[in-house]
Amino acid sequence: MAGVLVKGRFPRRRLIQTVAANLARYLFNGAARSWARNVGSTAPALGSMTLLLVMSGLVGLTGFALHNLEQIEAGQASLLHVYLRDNAEAADILSLENRLTSDPRVAGVTYTTKAEALQRAQHIPGLPQLADASESNPFPASLDVQVKSIDQVAAVDASVRNDLAVDQLYPTSYDRGAYQRIQAVLLGAAVAGIAFLGLLAFVAVTVTMNSIKIAIHSRRDEITIMQLVGAPRWMVRGPFVVEGAITGALAGTVAGAVTFGLAFTGISAASGTFTQFAPGITTTVAAIAAASVVLVGLGLGSGSSLISLRRHMET
Amino acid sequence: MRPIVNGLVRPIVEFTAVTRLYGARRALDDVHFALHPGELAFLVGPSGAGKTTLLKLVNREIRPSSGEVCVAGIAAHRLKASRVADLRRKVGVVFQDYKLLPRLTALENVAFGLQVGDLRISDEEARDRSLDALEAVGLGDRGDAFPHQLSGGQQQRVAVARAVVAQPQLLIADEPTGNLDLETAWEIMDLFEDIAAWGTAVLVATHNVEIVTRLQRRVLTLVQGRLVRDQPAGQTGRMAWLASS
Repeated sequence: MAGVLVKGRFPRRRLIQTVAANLARYLFNGAARSWARNVGSTAPALGSMTLLLVMSGLVGLTGFALHNLEQIEAGQASLLHVYLRDNAEAADILSLENRLTSDPRVAGVTYTTKAEALQRAQHIPGLPQLADASESNPFPASLDVQVKSIDQVAAVDASVRNDLAVDQLYPTSYDRGAYQRIQAVLLGAAVAGIAFLGLLAFVAVTVTMNSIKIAIHSRRDEITIMQLVGAPRWMVRGPFVVEGAITGALAGTVAGAVTFGLAFTGISAASGTFTQFAPGITTTVAAIAAASVVLVGLGLGSGSSLISLRRHMET
Repeated sequence: MRPIVNGLVRPIVEFTAVTRLYGARRALDDVHFALHPGELAFLVGPSGAGKTTLLKLVNREIRPSSGEVCVAGIAAHRLKASRVADLRRKVGVVFQDYKLLPRLTALENVAFGLQVGDLRISDEEARDRSLDALEAVGLGDRGDAFPHQLSGGQQQRVAVARAVVAQPQLLIADEPTGNLDLETAWEIMDLFEDIAAWGTAVLVATHNVEIVTRLQRRVLTLVQGRLVRDQPAGQTGRMAWLASS
């Protein structure tokens, strides 16, 4: 026997290392070098994107706070106080309470006595003076009805207004349109915020696309050579996408830090007041907003590059 | 190794009734020809005759308006843009202006041509094979030089090394001696003859009458987009005047 051919194991790990090293070199190292070289033409894109992302972070946090406020308002607006006549019969009150309890639109009914109403009024600014001004208790007993949906409060109000047990002068706490007015204000704020962000996004995307366009034009020869020697499309286009992503990530990191910093300063400086005006904004929420801003920056940068490549790079 | 099908050597390049229009102008008109492995052919004709258009069709930089272009077994005329790189890795290209990447050394330029086509090639292997290619073109000692540190002839040799380092089945060259003096031009032509001798098909578009006349290789003559003459190797003396613009 002349000998045994020993076939070594296929060096899979080495192959993966080689491919990874080549990918890193052609895709990421090349992009990083090129980004650093063209930082002058990238600066406007970086600035506008940072501004956009800071605004996005702040508008996002404000939107979250407004959403929480709206939830609180909605909870309060769906609580209907049905004021009872001082001389209402117990049977009439019980009958009304039973009718409301069996109403499918109602989540729950609580009876509040005149004494409890007075006690509650003591904690509401302005009302203790009113209570003291009168020798008798001016606050009526009430049935506090928690309606399931805010849209059904009007119908429930209409169904109880003419009941025998209900006070005819001030039948309920229902204020037609109050909640709708709050909603309209919030909707207006949301639309204005989105329009403003849309405008900023348009500017940031356009400026980023232009910076990538400049990079493509300045490296036209290099791109042509790469294409002619058989570089696959992803290898030609990839570095530009990575360049856009670097711009986006950098802008996102700065904007995320600013967003978190402002929110954290607000929370630490005036925690009580801050919670009242911006309910739900905690350090964790601010950190999530900052991380989201970084991710949006990455997406915005690479997305703008992709659009620019589709427009300006020939195959 | 020659690709053989049913006992016949399959052409590396095959044009069948190829027409290419630029607007109303016919850059190529009903061109038929085939080029086989190991064949060195010259493409001659006056300026605007369609030489560069033909080479661009081979490298799938453009598509034909009608007809079929097959290169290394790939139907280039219906090749999707996303698959063009597959074809180009089978075709080495040499340009009149060298087209070297200025920020890379000679060795890196050659290795680039190798690694962009196959990411599985390690740095060591790419370096060894690129050095071999540079040595083959007589520049084994200039691997660390940047393009601006090399003469025109040396840059063109680097370009040739880059074009052949991945062992393509076909080498196309568009006026490769256009920027070179006659002596250097002959050195480049010697390289092309060596490359063809190892089985690679070589198609050279040129205006250089002296080279075409003296090498006595196959000559394809284009005039106003039409292939007016296809002379086999050894019969090229009488038509040399057509190569002048």
